[in-house]
Amino acid sequence: MNFTKFSILVTALIFALSLNLSAQDGVAEDLMKEAHLNNFYAADDGLAEVNMSIVNSSGKERNRQFSMLRLDNEEGGMQKYYTYFHKPYDVARLTFMVHKNPFETDQRWLYIPSVDLVKRISADDKGSSFVGSDFSYEDVSGRHWSDDTHKILEEKEHNGMQVYVIESVPKSDDDVFAKKITYIDKEHMLPVREEYYDDKGELERIYTAEKIEVVEEIPTVTLRKMENVKKDQHTIVEFSSIDYNVGVKDNIFTERYLKNPPRQYIK
Amino acid sequence: MNYTKIKLITIMAIVLVLSSTAFAEDVYISGFLQGLYGGGLDDDNPTPSELTAAETRLQLKLESYSDLAEFFGRLDFVYDGYDEPEYDWELREGYIKFRLGNYFDFKVGRQVLTWGTGDLIFINDLFAKDYRSFFIGRDDQYLKAPQDALRGAYYSPIGTFSLVYTPRFTPNRIPTGMRLSYFNPMVGDIVGGADYFFEGRLPEAEIENGEIAGRFKRYFGTADFALYGYRGFYKNPEGFDPSTMEAYYPRLNVYGASIRMPIFEGIAWLEGGYYDSREDTDGDNPNIPNSSVTGLVGFERQIVTNLTVNLQYQGEVMMNYDEFVESVGGQTEVDEVYHLLTSRVTKLMRMETVVLSLFGFYSPSQEDFYGRFSLDYKYTDHLTLTVGGNIFAGNDKFTDFGTFQKNDNVYLKITYGY
Repeated sequence: MNFTKFSILVTALIFALSLNLSAQDGVAEDLMKEAHLNNFYAADDGLAEVNMSIVNSSGKERNRQFSMLRLDNEEGGMQKYYTYFHKPYDVARLTFMVHKNPFETDQRWLYIPSVDLVKRISADDKGSSFVGSDFSYEDVSGRHWSDDTHKILEEKEHNGMQVYVIESVPKSDDDVFAKKITYIDKEHMLPVREEYYDDKGELERIYTAEKIEVVEEIPTVTLRKMENVKKDQHTIVEFSSIDYNVGVKDNIFTERYLKNPPRQYIK
Repeated sequence: MNYTKIKLITIMAIVLVLSSTAFAEDVYISGFLQGLYGGGLDDDNPTPSELTAAETRLQLKLESYSDLAEFFGRLDFVYDGYDEPEYDWELREGYIKFRLGNYFDFKVGRQVLTWGTGDLIFINDLFAKDYRSFFIGRDDQYLKAPQDALRGAYYSPIGTFSLVYTPRFTPNRIPTGMRLSYFNPMVGDIVGGADYFFEGRLPEAEIENGEIAGRFKRYFGTADFALYGYRGFYKNPEGFDPSTMEAYYPRLNVYGASIRMPIFEGIAWLEGGYYDSREDTDGDNPNIPNSSVTGLVGFERQIVTNLTVNLQYQGEVMMNYDEFVESVGGQTEVDEVYHLLTSRVTKLMRMETVVLSLFGFYSPSQEDFYGRFSLDYKYTDHLTLTVGGNIFAGNDKFTDFGTFQKNDNVYLKITYGY
């Protein structure tokens, strides 16, 4: 009898504790979700000109220039990307299309116009570099908040902004990083700094939102930087000519338009 | 006659100018300047020059578009000094692309065309290839020779129908003996030089001698599925006309299908085709290829970060093999079944500024091999240095790759893009 009472008490205590813990985790996850949606799912669709500058450890700079078109089929879910490369010369006129499903493997297509070739690309490489930059494929389209468990470490002031500091640990053992620390700006609810750590606990890469502009009433990070601390190199990405809710249709993200760039959007 | 020509040119020029002012807003110019220098590795290659390439190429791309139409031109100027120095030029592409209504796309003019799923194995892709360029280190884009064609696509609710009509048959560009040697069955050996200049006899320029290629393609979930049809000719001069002692391009129809899908964290593809040799349906004419059934299966995935590998197997079965054997007198070294294995390895290094690429073909049935390698170093966004090579080997001289076994070469390429 006493034993039963005791066990009930213990069970209740554990339950209450875990509830409390999960409630805290829940808050952290909600914050990460909101920041993720603001950063990667702004409006229903978006169009931008992108300038990428990759600077290696000896200071040598390389540039990539492309147009990017995005459509959200579902907030936080299925998303489609269309990329048309302008520069450098060896990738000019190439088009690249992604059907991103956070819960399944992405589908990717590349069209090489000089040989009229539609190539499907295996997508099991979320940690791979995007076009030779310090950004990975996952950095470009965003990492789903449900892939990690989140914990609020603190709230503080950072570069004149009030931020939440959140620690994220991948649920899978074998992931592209071991730990991530995210600073979320309370005013815009956007991630302004991310630190990626490897499994030895060493800092690998630092992402920073260098510039936030309000575009069509939507706070947008227009200058993004990824620093590879270990390799002593970095990539800066600048977004310009941003346009939201352009009304792009789902059928644009098909082979037809992969081969024939939709000129109403892609100049 | 001359007057008509001038009138035609004038009309064309007016149409061009009018259309460009009517549609186009801006004209974009880009291209590259490239030097390619290659040498043979076999001392006894019977070609006129020990070089395989010594050329400087200027490519000029012109592009213009509006919401209604798109114009594209790609023109190559080449100073070619591998044997007798000469200037050359070629219009690689020159087309107009436009849309009719919501469901029709058209592309008219000189263009490169590709379809099918194989990696450097072409079953249902019967568009012209340029193996003369492919074997000496020119860029991958030169594997495809342009065709003057009309391409139409209809996007229906059940899938996409494409039709390509090429009024004048466009054959593959294969080694002629001038730059690359080949096996000549009449001589019984590998030959080269002007005395053995080899070129097939083209079909007459008649309406019925055009090429028609069609495809129906649709997606089932993540898998893309396609049906193909072709009416034309063998793209290599595989026929022999005893009355004129000439090689020529026999009539050919091809029917095929393919499927490609993401699976096992990679991409897999499967393609098959039936080659219907129209001039030798019984298979008893030794001067014309027999009909055949061919299929391929392939798989590609990234093994570790920045290292991608693929594997392919192709099998081909000759139809009416017994009739063929009988027609050549009961004895032949040609197998009924042909097997081919290929593999591509691509390694990206130093933030994708260094690219190592290997491609190997090996046929266990013909016991021959063809290997390609290249190392690209993108020194800046504009300047790329490439070293590469092509290696052929074969137990026999008459097999697909064995015929080129004296053409082993290495090359150096410098490209400045603008």
